[in-house]
Amino acid sequence: MKTSLKIVVDNGAYNIKAGIIGADDGTPRIIPNAVVRSKGDKTTYIGHEITKCEDHSSLHYRLPFEKGYITDWDAQKAVWDGMFSAELLNVDTSEASLLITEPYFNLSNLQDIYDQFIFEEYEFQSYYRCTPASLIPHGNLFTLPDLGSPECMLVVDSGFSFTHVVPIMNGEIVWSAVKRIDVGGKLLTNQLKELVSFRQWNMMDETYIMNDVKESCCYVSTDCKRDMEICRTDPKSNAIVQEYILPDFSLNRSGRVRQPGGSLDESYQILCMNNERFMVPEIIFRPDDIGLEQSGLAATIATSISQLPEEVQGMFWANIGLIGGNTKFAGFHERLMSELRTLAPGDCEVVLYPSNEPITEAYQSAVALAKRPDFAQRVVTRAEYLEMGSNACRRKFHDWKPIEKDLSKGRDPGKTKTGRAREDEEDDGSPSVKRGTRAKGKGRATGRRQV
Amino acid sequence: MPPRRHRQSQAASAQLDSEVIAKRTKRHLDELERSNYAEPSGSALFPGLEEEDEAPAGRAAKGRARQTISDKKEWKGQKKKKSTMNVRSAVLYKKSLQVLIDESGIANFPPSIPTYLTAGAPPPREPSRLLCSVCGYWGKYKCKKCKMPYCDMSCEAVHNETRCERRVI
Repeated sequence: MKTSLKIVVDNGAYNIKAGIIGADDGTPRIIPNAVVRSKGDKTTYIGHEITKCEDHSSLHYRLPFEKGYITDWDAQKAVWDGMFSAELLNVDTSEASLLITEPYFNLSNLQDIYDQFIFEEYEFQSYYRCTPASLIPHGNLFTLPDLGSPECMLVVDSGFSFTHVVPIMNGEIVWSAVKRIDVGGKLLTNQLKELVSFRQWNMMDETYIMNDVKESCCYVSTDCKRDMEICRTDPKSNAIVQEYILPDFSLNRSGRVRQPGGSLDESYQILCMNNERFMVPEIIFRPDDIGLEQSGLAATIATSISQLPEEVQGMFWANIGLIGGNTKFAGFHERLMSELRTLAPGDCEVVLYPSNEPITEAYQSAVALAKRPDFAQRVVTRAEYLEMGSNACRRKFHDWKPIEKDLSKGRDPGKTKTGRAREDEEDDGSPSVKRGTRAKGKGRATGRRQV
Repeated sequence: MPPRRHRQSQAASAQLDSEVIAKRTKRHLDELERSNYAEPSGSALFPGLEEEDEAPAGRAAKGRARQTISDKKEWKGQKKKKSTMNVRSAVLYKKSLQVLIDESGIANFPPSIPTYLTAGAPPPREPSRLLCSVCGYWGKYKCKKCKMPYCDMSCEAVHNETRCERRVI
């Protein structure tokens, strides 16, 4: 096979980070992973088009992801179509190789759909599918000069849908110790929306604006009790309260934080951010504040490490990397550090490696992996897929599912009709055309059942 | 024995309380996962799209050949191709995450295999903090009727006026 174009897609639930190896190595294209309908100009914007949208009031969002997993493939296809088209990456996917990320513990039935889209719809020559954290060992997050990535590392990935604690040993994820907190950027924005709507203005339909308020005003408190008292003393003027000037799209005025002392005329609407500034990101550290019965991030990290082999636990404490958009909150790193210090054994060194670019860290690491000469051995080729279907991918991509002999044991009870159908197909080794027609007949039958 | 019965009914109501509160919390957590506030539950379609755009094709071919957003959009330089049946069904028949989880069979995996269902963080060890449901400050008191916490008398007044559900006894 000739050396072909390589594309990297870090397929996030909020933003897709995508680029072509050689052309976008430094900075990926950032593509909102959504289809948005603007009430103002009655236009639908898909993926990268959203940057063209100027009226951000009452946007209606349609997101391909639900709780971190792709459930709306129509929307996902629309965004991907646009991304590969001449409007953005401008690639002929049938001539290219792809590295794409998937969520942790992705469901096997969803993985099959990934395979189908990549080989049947976009007809990539080859592809590699993995989780964002598994890419980190190939990047520079932990790298000290002249030293590679450590053998043991723990990646905290706090994104839009959820927060994961992912221990990695010798480049492989230790799935039995991976933990998830169901708190991500989406929940935080919604929580802020709700607080503000009850206390001040009704912002329930203003996801876009409230997301910006969250990103510009919120921080992680290093001392929640102290900050709470500060906010209590004088709700209008204290060291914490901030005023956010709401945007006015009719005048093309965008929102911003009011600088202290800046004068304003009365046409501006002001949103007061008091204890909301830190009580919203606080949920990552105290999910029970909103009634979610899960431990906070620090305790979850401690739990994860406690489930790893005892002799290497110290190494994990000393190599904790932080990626994902939520880690950008000011104070995140300090707060996590102080909580971890109290949870870690006294003789353990605790070292955090916050990413400077937490949103694109996984992309950068993916670029490094795609450039390695042995990348070609990781991919599944189109020919392999045509021969074996999704089984080719199941065999080659290591994920949370046990490998080889355990596989059949674990799989059997769950696998019903689809599993058998696939084996039929595999048996007669049907080439692509034949496979397509067979699938068609079956597809219709299953289709009707689903409706 | 009347006193005993009394005690029993009290216990039953306490249980009911916690059940109702758990339900309320669950509903709130579900709401926090929504993409849009005003969302007709279950409907995956894009409200407003068909009505306001000129989409006679989508309308005319009722139901059978549903038009999808990815079909409708034509990108510069995009080759229009006929999708395979696999891709077509994924695009046309949306399944919720719950359905997908059920179909994946991970609920039947032996406990030795970690899955999405087993990977959730363990419950917290510390008791949870009470936050005033009105202003967000520590909530020292709880509403007698609905158990929502509040911090002082002025927040209590706001709570009674606006938020009190009056359903939990």
